[in-house]
Amino acid sequence: MPLSMMQPGAENTIKKVGGKEETRRFLEKLGFVAGGMVSVISETGGNLIVNVKDSRVAIGRDMANKIMV
Amino acid sequence: MALKIALAGNPNCGKTTLFNGLTGSNQFVGNWPGVTVEKKEGRLKGRKDVTVIDLPGIYSLSPYTLEEVVARNYLLRERPDVIINIIDGTNLERNLYLSTQLLELGIPVVMAVNMADILEKNGDQIHIGKLEEKLGCRVAEISALKGTGIQKAAELAIAAAGGKKPPVVHTFGAEAEYALKEAEGRIGSLVPEEQKRFYAVKLLERDDKIGEQLQQQLEVEDLISGLEKALEDDVESILTNERYVYISSIIKECCTKGKRQAVSVSDQIDKIVTNRILALPIFAVVMGLVYYISVTTIGGWGTNWVNDGVFGEGWHLFGIEGIFVPGIPVLAEAGLQAIGCAEWLQGLVLDGIIGGVGAVLGFVPQMLVLFMFLAFLEACGYMARVAFIMDRIFRKFGLSGKSFIPMLIGTGCGVPGIMASRTIENDRDRKMTIMTTTFIPCGAKLPIIALIAGAFFHNSWWVAFSAFFVGIAAVICSGILLKKTRMFAGDPAPFVMELPAYHMPTLGNVLRSMWERGYSFIKKAGTIILLSAIVLWFLQGFGWVDGAFGMLEEEQLDHSILAAIGNVIAPIFAPLGWGDWKMAVAAVTGLIAKENVVTTFGILFGFGEVAEDGAEIWSILSASMTSVAAYSFLVFNLLCAPCFAAMGAIKREMNNAKWFWFAVGYQTILAYLASLCIYQLGSLFTTGAFGVGTAAAVLIAAMFFYLLVRPRREYGSRAVNVRGMAK
Repeated sequence: MPLSMMQPGAENTIKKVGGKEETRRFLEKLGFVAGGMVSVISETGGNLIVNVKDSRVAIGRDMANKIMV
Repeated sequence: MALKIALAGNPNCGKTTLFNGLTGSNQFVGNWPGVTVEKKEGRLKGRKDVTVIDLPGIYSLSPYTLEEVVARNYLLRERPDVIINIIDGTNLERNLYLSTQLLELGIPVVMAVNMADILEKNGDQIHIGKLEEKLGCRVAEISALKGTGIQKAAELAIAAAGGKKPPVVHTFGAEAEYALKEAEGRIGSLVPEEQKRFYAVKLLERDDKIGEQLQQQLEVEDLISGLEKALEDDVESILTNERYVYISSIIKECCTKGKRQAVSVSDQIDKIVTNRILALPIFAVVMGLVYYISVTTIGGWGTNWVNDGVFGEGWHLFGIEGIFVPGIPVLAEAGLQAIGCAEWLQGLVLDGIIGGVGAVLGFVPQMLVLFMFLAFLEACGYMARVAFIMDRIFRKFGLSGKSFIPMLIGTGCGVPGIMASRTIENDRDRKMTIMTTTFIPCGAKLPIIALIAGAFFHNSWWVAFSAFFVGIAAVICSGILLKKTRMFAGDPAPFVMELPAYHMPTLGNVLRSMWERGYSFIKKAGTIILLSAIVLWFLQGFGWVDGAFGMLEEEQLDHSILAAIGNVIAPIFAPLGWGDWKMAVAAVTGLIAKENVVTTFGILFGFGEVAEDGAEIWSILSASMTSVAAYSFLVFNLLCAPCFAAMGAIKREMNNAKWFWFAVGYQTILAYLASLCIYQLGSLFTTGAFGVGTAAAVLIAAMFFYLLVRPRREYGSRAVNVRGMAK
């Protein structure tokens, strides 16, 4: 399922990072790589604050939809 | 020999704090050539021969963002003697990703593992010796915030600078290594031996910008396709993944994690502060408090002191009765009379210079207090959350949440507000923010609001309220309108932003940021406003009476040069309801500085100096035009091109003359049309007058609504351009 559907508190493994190449590369730099863990800290209207590789990243819904967990 | 140390690291890892700690006040701030990315340089404390260069905060050395290109061009071309790579110790994994790339550059690297104090508190331990061995470079543990270990990091860097090129210790998988060796062989002697590794990696990643830098075209496509076939992925992803794999493998050995709390304090705060229901109310309370304190209490007291004390009669030192310090005008007048100065020169100094500049400096205390709070909110990490909270709302009319911070700062002064738009990575989003930030009433527009509210609307609260509403509406409508043009088409860049953990900032950093922003305002008082005060004084003090040019008596104002100019431009504003030359002149002087509008009215209506809200001229003013015209005047001044200083900021940030004129032109035309509609339609409702102007206004209003609601045209998809929030 897309990352945007995860509930606060849940933790999951990233299966795939999709989207345009540029977007994907950017997400990879921030630590969103397949096989990595991601957990959701808080959620408002599909926009998330997540914990990935020990840093907190705010991510909009359009972006979160492209990350499969 | 002079030594150059480059500071490199992720955004939000404490790089700026370390830079400030290393250099103290020995800093020069400028731009990297050709781009609006800030460049900071300084001399190492106690070592005049050592220069420290603060590179932009970056996550990698890829060619996709301006910051990354700027940083890697610097590292490749200028070749600093040593790199200090600052790393957030609480987040080793992500930070080391950049480190593995820096180590490939063939420049000596020293790691500074930051946040040593927080690591200790968490019970985490980083084994420095092990890390040094695994990375092949020296490592220092520091706390940039507390200033510990900084000296040692600098010493290690200076020692490493002379040393030989460190060997690249980390390796990729066998297939990738084979391809890299092959590529290195093909590069041959095109680049120095120690840079080969970096170029080989970039060639395999199909990094065009690096390929262009080589003297001859190299063919590596066979290696790339071989590698991609073997591992069933594109090379960039393969290398990215292998870097992470390598990092995780060494982290296990180099770092023992203490017992973690289930949820960190920072996360707990985030759960409340970014909560779906509570986020906006909390934000409203925080901002309400900030403005209350900076406008009415501390900042307000400071401003009154400057206006009535320093630039007024005088004040009591520390509030003690008996120790009376006279104000600057009083002192200057006494001084000028003592030396027997000519009367016209006295007039120039007292009314022109001291009056003009003093009126502007009165805002400084308020503004500094406001900027101090905003700097604190930024430094502690709350502003990044605000951008996140507001993104949900701003996205609806085509702006990014990151546009909100420039607008908040813009309520103080538009100049630092426009400059704050730099943190917005997407080019279209940033340009749109620059164009709309000054619609929000800044501190200098408040006296205009107070004047109109007092003279025409019995000081009604709704005037000030509506002024902000007009500003916000202008931002929203511009967002919607501009998004439908070809230039701005497409959704705002997807929102991704790293959030620093909440922390208490150092006083020094907050004050430094406050001063940097406040200074841009003070500087304009000393330069543009000073000059314009002199020119204005001359224009209204001299003119032709009975064919002879000379200095005028006060009641001969209608003959001044200023009146002549005003009469020429006044007809332009006649359809807006204020075709009197005095209004026209006031609006024009508002371009110099918005607070000039009230001062100009004071001078033109023959009162010399007036209070900040111009209370003395209320009755004359209200007799000279209708309240509808007055409101149209207010709206025009709120929305039209900002003051010269802010226009200068727009020009600098746009970095392009065409865009500058488009921005200023758009603002002025929007202001003109909005005021026209307000006056013409307002008059229709209040007096029933219907004329050509009314018809035009109805037409314009109809056009406007059509543009607002017409469907957005598709202009084809555009490349997404994202990057981390550079700080």
